[in-house]
Amino acid sequence: MSTSTDTPISEPKRWDLEPESEYRFELDPGTSLAIKLVEGQAEVFGFELAEAKVYLFGSECKAAVYTWKGCAIQVTGVPSTEYVSNETPMRIYANLHIALEQMRVRALRQVRGSPVPSQEANARSDPPRVLVVGPEHSGKTTICKILTNYAVRAGQGWTPFLVNVDPGEGGWAAPGTVSVAPVKGPIPTASSANPLGTAATNAPMSLASNTLLPLAYWYGHPQTKRNPLLMDRMTRNLGENMNDRFELDPEGRASGLIVDTPSSYASGPSANDHRHKLINACIDAFKINVIVVVGHEKLNVEMQRSYGANLMVVKIPKSGGVVELDSSYRDRVTNYQLHAYFYGQVIKPPAGITNGSLGGESLTDLVLSPSSTVINFNDIIIYRIGSDAMAPSDALPVGARRTVSEMQPVVVDPASPGSRLLNAVLALLSPQASDESERYDEEVLDLTLVGFLIITNIDITTKKMTVLAPNRGSFTGRTAVVGSFEWQEQ
Amino acid sequence: MSHVYPQSIYGQPSYGVPVPGFSAQRATPASYQQHYFQPPPPPQPQQQAAPPQPLFHSDPNSFRRDFTSRLSNLTINSRVHIQDLSMMAQDHPHFSSIVAQSLDHHIRQVPPWMKLPGFYLLDAISKNVFEPYASVFSRIVTSLFMDAYFQVDSSTRNKMEEMLLTWRTAGPEHSPLFGPETQDRLQTSVWGDQSFATKNQVLSELQFTLGQMERALQANPRDRTPEGHIHVLNQLRRLVERGVSQPELRQILEQLRTLARSALPPPVVRPPPPTPRPVAAPYYNQHPPFPPQAHAPPPRPYSHPPPLSFNSIPQAVDVAPPQAPVPALLPSNLESLMASLVKSGVLSVPGTSTPTAQGTSTPEVAPPLALSEREDPSAVKDMNTREYRNFILSEPIALTTSDITRARPRIVELLYERQTSQCKQCGIRFADTKLGKKRLEDHLDMHFRQNSKVDQGRGHSRSWFTSLENWIHDASINEKGKGPAHSLSLTSTKVDNAKREEELRAQFVVIPPGAEAQSVSCPICKETLQSEFLEDEEEWVWRNAVKKDDKIYHATCHAEATTSTSSIAARLRTEKQQGSRSATPEVYPMTGIQSTTLRSTPPPSLLRKSGSRSPPQLISPGSKVAGVKRKVDHHDSDPLEDGTGTPPFKKLALSSTPIPSS
Repeated sequence: MSTSTDTPISEPKRWDLEPESEYRFELDPGTSLAIKLVEGQAEVFGFELAEAKVYLFGSECKAAVYTWKGCAIQVTGVPSTEYVSNETPMRIYANLHIALEQMRVRALRQVRGSPVPSQEANARSDPPRVLVVGPEHSGKTTICKILTNYAVRAGQGWTPFLVNVDPGEGGWAAPGTVSVAPVKGPIPTASSANPLGTAATNAPMSLASNTLLPLAYWYGHPQTKRNPLLMDRMTRNLGENMNDRFELDPEGRASGLIVDTPSSYASGPSANDHRHKLINACIDAFKINVIVVVGHEKLNVEMQRSYGANLMVVKIPKSGGVVELDSSYRDRVTNYQLHAYFYGQVIKPPAGITNGSLGGESLTDLVLSPSSTVINFNDIIIYRIGSDAMAPSDALPVGARRTVSEMQPVVVDPASPGSRLLNAVLALLSPQASDESERYDEEVLDLTLVGFLIITNIDITTKKMTVLAPNRGSFTGRTAVVGSFEWQEQ
Repeated sequence: MSHVYPQSIYGQPSYGVPVPGFSAQRATPASYQQHYFQPPPPPQPQQQAAPPQPLFHSDPNSFRRDFTSRLSNLTINSRVHIQDLSMMAQDHPHFSSIVAQSLDHHIRQVPPWMKLPGFYLLDAISKNVFEPYASVFSRIVTSLFMDAYFQVDSSTRNKMEEMLLTWRTAGPEHSPLFGPETQDRLQTSVWGDQSFATKNQVLSELQFTLGQMERALQANPRDRTPEGHIHVLNQLRRLVERGVSQPELRQILEQLRTLARSALPPPVVRPPPPTPRPVAAPYYNQHPPFPPQAHAPPPRPYSHPPPLSFNSIPQAVDVAPPQAPVPALLPSNLESLMASLVKSGVLSVPGTSTPTAQGTSTPEVAPPLALSEREDPSAVKDMNTREYRNFILSEPIALTTSDITRARPRIVELLYERQTSQCKQCGIRFADTKLGKKRLEDHLDMHFRQNSKVDQGRGHSRSWFTSLENWIHDASINEKGKGPAHSLSLTSTKVDNAKREEELRAQFVVIPPGAEAQSVSCPICKETLQSEFLEDEEEWVWRNAVKKDDKIYHATCHAEATTSTSSIAARLRTEKQQGSRSATPEVYPMTGIQSTTLRSTPPPSLLRKSGSRSPPQLISPGSKVAGVKRKVDHHDSDPLEDGTGTPPFKKLALSSTPIPSS
């Protein structure tokens, strides 16, 4: 329709969607899309759109506007792909949601000590604790989001806990983390930078219902196979803290939790048993009682066989709308995520759109101001976990032992030429125990993530480095851990 | 209580007073007269009492208009109206979807006390015309019925339950009127999972069958069968009321259904209607149109409970099945069930005391929730929770691959239709109830605070993640005025806060002479202090003001500021003692104000205990609010703060005031 220019001017297009169909779109880098619900009811991955509001999508977002009862939407912008599909697995997802709701209401009934009707006497009253597994590009994260949003929208005050143990994903912060957040309001989908919603900022929107307060641990690598032992530990740490919280908040516990896993949990060389160990870690740590297998027959059989005796294992189909992504896309997303972490969401609306919002947040609120400061080398202690160049243990020569264990924190000296700290993403950890006697060697592994720092300049002569931090809070004397992520402002 | 059908149609005497003897004189198979009460008795026999013949419409729009306008007159249980509308529907089967839509709309929008006549119409059309209406209605009836069911009062609920029971056998070959699935779903929604029998349900069905029998008895006093059944049924009812085990409930229910089914009059016995309408479907003749009487043998007049009382019941349990022509197919199963119950010791013959032995393993059958919880005056929240629970648990979806693949979810109701008020800003929905409205208001207040904050500066930045300690103790009372986690029990805090605010606002500082014209602003919130003339003092004053160190502050702002600083100090102290990891409070550079307030954490045991059997309000979102709020939240987010023009910071102060240590 328009010649290819930098800013194609596109007329708004109206799409009328039949009940139970969805409008799917994919965006190229640098483009954005504005969608307005004109009539009817519509939702984006379980997040209901308000009528007449303009929602913006960007950062290569690939999403779908689904309608249960039919709707009309107005779309401005030029997606690289757009079409309407009538074949969605949403009914099945909705059934799954209702089955989970049954578990929630029973759990809450038990917590409150409400009378149990006789026919329910034998019903289990565990809240749903769901592990979602599936191969790459099966839409696991989207399913987690839909299930979470539906729970939140039930109007029952559920606060489901959304857990992300996919360090390649980024969750609420940046990739490399293992994290959990209680979800109180529906999670919008607007950009690949915040697949699971936005972590709190001090902008006014941090009041908003969909602000998330995550608890995160820093694993530091995109691949789980890089250091399975560390993944295992992070996962268990997360689970322990959640249990502590649940003990204080029995009603919160009734909402249950949903765990999004990396695709490496679903497939891999059979000789490598780390994925089973990691799945087991999840099951133990989060007391999983339901495994949802997305669109993978063989995996379903395997899960049934391994866990079917003690847990409920259900299989659901994957959506036809799932887009296959390549590794360069992952890299770009990592970049978007880190940029969004420091600078907020900056999406240039399509030409002609002035009143857009991102998941209901006005654009101006999403611009953040990080702070860049120069600090001394010894103002923070930087660790790297395990040896520098770590091969998987099974790749070592027979009989060879590691000189540095996978779990050992090694101090990194910024002055040493091989520190590789320039442009590295540092995870700032919460303070160590103030009492010396409580400290232990691997304490660093058990400290939660407070935020990210980027070393943007190292001056060896003056022993100073420039650090980009999300805010002006002081971090002198704190501990940070470096992983394998790097980021440069572009 | 000896008769299923009370004198009044809705239990509201104003509508239900029957004209004595009116329907008793009719010997038609139609039994409208028993329920569709018609104030002036028509001169002709009921069913054929040709209601005003509607025009034949060929235009859907004019039909819709006509039908809708007639429907809007259906405000009371008027037989004329129902017949009229039913005929109209019958004459226009090709407009069945318009009928369905109009009826659906009508029932949904009228007030609860007016819904029953609409259902009676739906019932009459389905039973009289059946095709195509039953199948069209079957698509809407579940949600329509259940939505109304949860809104109406208990006597109407009973009526609806009775109607529902008649649907079970009102279709062809005594099949469910709207199909087995719909019937099952409705029964599940009303009485819970149908693979179990609830005491409530058994009692309803007992009552229903009793009514049938009583009418049968009246119809044919010489037939001793119904009498025998009535006797047994009454015994059973008392037994069930006392409590029997689950398998027995189940058994009783099955027997009841067999009995009810067999009590249906065989079609041949029915006298054909004197002036059959040509369009009448076969069922029209077979089944009397009106619900509760649908299975009744040749009808008996309304409002004549059988001369039956408990003390007149003979002690003997064995009842000889009599040889009576109507109903011909009586089961003796009920008796054998009774006999076996007696034999097993479950049932003691009337006169002896409580049941004993194995049958009473679950004597404490939970009381019907509908009654127990509704009576609790403070149970608004629980009503919501309970209804939602029933709704959810009634969905026949087990967590198995086959079930979730097969079942058709009522998700739209769940996510959209149950919650009709929507926030225009963010699309979040709220139930259209008092509580829902309150939550929507709170939610809008939150938006208001948020928006008013937007203009107060730029340069936001990402916060540090909350510390482990804070995260664990955050008992989620954040914002949004949504969810049971923060509804009722916040009230006391709110009252305290309101009182406190009142006091603060009442403070004033007398404006120094000559300074009246100056505009003075509060150093904290930067807003101008309002001046006003105080009659009593005969002075100009600044309202809600306090003077400290020669500066004039808003009293509320000042209180907030002092509270939060003292809480930082207190918190630091505490944490130092505990050697906590999170000794460093997060500082927000943009404001310099520590917004985290210290709250002592309640001992876990307290919270755990509340999780057990205590009444819900003790679990207390409130105690969480008061006790555990350590969120690194930047703003006040107490949903129940009223939003009357107080700047957010002041609110923070108020919402965080009751600090034991300060």
